[in-house]
Amino acid sequence: MAWEEAAVAATESRVGSVLAAALLLPGVAIPAHAESAPEQGSVEVQALDYRDWQPGLQRIRVQAPSAHVLAPIGSRWSVEGSLVSDSVSGASPRHHTAVSGASRMSERRNAADAAVRHYGEREDWSLGAAYSNEHDYRSRTVSGTYSWSTEDNNRTWNIGLGHSGDTIGSSDDPSLHAHRLTWQATAGVTQVASAADLVQWSLGLNVGRGTFSDPYKFPDIRPDHRNQATSLLRWNHDLGALDAVVRLGWRFYGDSFGVRANTLDAAWVQSFGDRLQLTPSLRYTTQRAARFYVDPVYSASLGEPFPPGYDGQHPVSEDQRLSAFGALSAGLRVDVKLDARWRLDASVERYEQRGSWRLGGDGSPGLAPFSARWFQLGVACSF
Amino acid sequence: MQRIICITYTAASLALAGCAWAPPQPWEKGALAKPAMTMGGDTLSQRFDQHVYSSKENASGGYGVGGGGCGCN
Repeated sequence: MAWEEAAVAATESRVGSVLAAALLLPGVAIPAHAESAPEQGSVEVQALDYRDWQPGLQRIRVQAPSAHVLAPIGSRWSVEGSLVSDSVSGASPRHHTAVSGASRMSERRNAADAAVRHYGEREDWSLGAAYSNEHDYRSRTVSGTYSWSTEDNNRTWNIGLGHSGDTIGSSDDPSLHAHRLTWQATAGVTQVASAADLVQWSLGLNVGRGTFSDPYKFPDIRPDHRNQATSLLRWNHDLGALDAVVRLGWRFYGDSFGVRANTLDAAWVQSFGDRLQLTPSLRYTTQRAARFYVDPVYSASLGEPFPPGYDGQHPVSEDQRLSAFGALSAGLRVDVKLDARWRLDASVERYEQRGSWRLGGDGSPGLAPFSARWFQLGVACSF
Repeated sequence: MQRIICITYTAASLALAGCAWAPPQPWEKGALAKPAMTMGGDTLSQRFDQHVYSSKENASGGYGVGGGGCGCN
């Protein structure tokens, strides 16, 4: 009887950790270790390599070493932090897919974040801070999260609040010293739906005020505020007989620029024994253009890049990212567990973006296809 | 926002119906404890992937609060 109680308690603890892990999302997300502090610390180091291109043009290359540390402190606390240093070089279009000779650049972005978390009996809270610095952009963020679980550990609720202050400059205009303030809020629930199913639903709301125009695009005049709302639904299903897990996700996004986007992602996590795991994945996103995005049709009197009716006052943008398009990406990740402490991982992803791939096929015309690929190689150690 | 809630609620209901809503007992949760059932996955990889997507698309966020801004978007 004592053994059975111990087994049940151990399983409960592990599932509590699963719910906690299920809520560990990127960007100092909604971590909800509603059961207990992690029993082990970990250190992970990764090397990242990213390239993107359009026909006849190699655009951006990014190389980014990064590191992440998680350390338990006693049974009630943990701290974690990460560092990343992006080395960026290449060219980014000034308008639509056109690159000017002056737009070549080479720069570095350094970013760091840290969070401290406290674990109660069925709840936890965290406080975090993030800092990112480039020669023409600086961002500071503080955030807090709180989560709590039901008595049977089958449901965990979470809320989060963050505030960012960004300073925007420009190599082209040294006098530019613009600002942007953003409040971020999120609320969600993770539910154990069955012995093989975890479902998570999160709502997010960002309210931003300040400068949203891109100083490196021309012409580019955007509203001085942007409100963003997201709804994220994720579902993990265990296929015990196949030793595999299916992960599905759907995110709806809408903002006050008029953009609406739906993103679907799916991954198949296939285990081969205890040491090897392969994860192929697919992602598709479809996006409606911002209401002030203009197609590449230029003013007869002013010429390229000015759109017809351009007055320098009303919102207008020729940024491809605000256009209507669809994008498809496919990835493959390999995880190798060397022993009880060491783990290796490697992944590759290929990304393709086309106007004609928008759901329904009525994407923005006249834009060159956009392609990207990135590799990641990592090593992690538990202690 | 109301539209988002409505759409997602419907989808969540269908998803939960599809996986035969039956919250398990503690001794039935072994499969849920697999690392592969983690939704967030590897922290650094997930952050980098989201960073790439948000720098090439207008849509971003939804995965929590506290991420710092970037001049890339």
